[in-house]
Amino acid sequence: MAHQGSFEVEGIVKESLPNTLFRVELPNGVVVLCHLSGKMRMNFIKILPGDKVRIEMTPYDKSKGRITYRVR
Amino acid sequence: MITYKSKEEINAMQEGGKILSDVLWKVIEKVKPGISEIELDSIAYQLIKKSGAEPAFMRVKGYKHTICTSTNDVVVHGIPGKYILKEGDIIGIDCGVYFKGLNTDMSETVGVGKINPQLEKFLQVGKLALEMAVAEAHLGNRVGHISKTIQEIVEGSSYSVVHNLIGHGVGKELHEDPEIPGILFDNLKSTPILKNGMTLAIEVIYNIGDPQVEYALNDGWTIKTKDKSMSAVFERSVAVGQYEPIILTP
Repeated sequence: MAHQGSFEVEGIVKESLPNTLFRVELPNGVVVLCHLSGKMRMNFIKILPGDKVRIEMTPYDKSKGRITYRVR
Repeated sequence: MITYKSKEEINAMQEGGKILSDVLWKVIEKVKPGISEIELDSIAYQLIKKSGAEPAFMRVKGYKHTICTSTNDVVVHGIPGKYILKEGDIIGIDCGVYFKGLNTDMSETVGVGKINPQLEKFLQVGKLALEMAVAEAHLGNRVGHISKTIQEIVEGSSYSVVHNLIGHGVGKELHEDPEIPGILFDNLKSTPILKNGMTLAIEVIYNIGDPQVEYALNDGWTIKTKDKSMSAVFERSVAVGQYEPIILTP
């Protein structure tokens, strides 16, 4: 059975929650609960509210995402 | 998280894959003008049950059949219905088997009766792409090599690969990591490296026309091409081997 692939979108971090969770607002207005990816944790990259980030999402659950990049 | 399977698990998957392969080819023999999709589904169900295994798709939440029948412009996940196959149609049959706790997944697209030569060529390109992509599943390669091969062969014949439907790892779950898209999105080095114990379901999903697809009917499953062009799917489950892959579903 075919599987739907994950896709990337950009958004702006609205607030930071405990355990490196963040609420990110997408360009279409939807707010998504995202966690920080392992690679960013390992390299100690900090994310603050107001940062523009790239997140990876699955079509199977559009309310969650993973932050994979902090855009300059 | 990519899970690596032990030798025993790969052997169990090989047995399950042989059952699946026998069932699928027997179902394909029955594909003739006049048979309906739902009949093919019940034939597959009987054959799988007789072999002592369980249909993997029935364990998927919300799906109640054994196979997916994707005729003509249906890309994947066509629910078997009362539609009767006509001469000249192409039907993609996708099936999965759950045996000894592990899943295997396989698809093949065939023509019903006599199909016109353009569709023959369309299907042959897909089969070739799958064969060459499967041959890339050995140590030293990355998932990106598989994606690149599929993309090059399919787009080289001016067909289009569907971007958002992907191959996947297979094992205890029907869909596992890694994702194996049909095209190379980023650069090769950013895709996972292939290691021993990885079991992959490599899928070639492609259309004659544009790559855009949409949810067509309101059943929440059927995906059709946006421009109504023909679509086909080919899939095999393989385990990564040293120099060449171990094909679990021949």
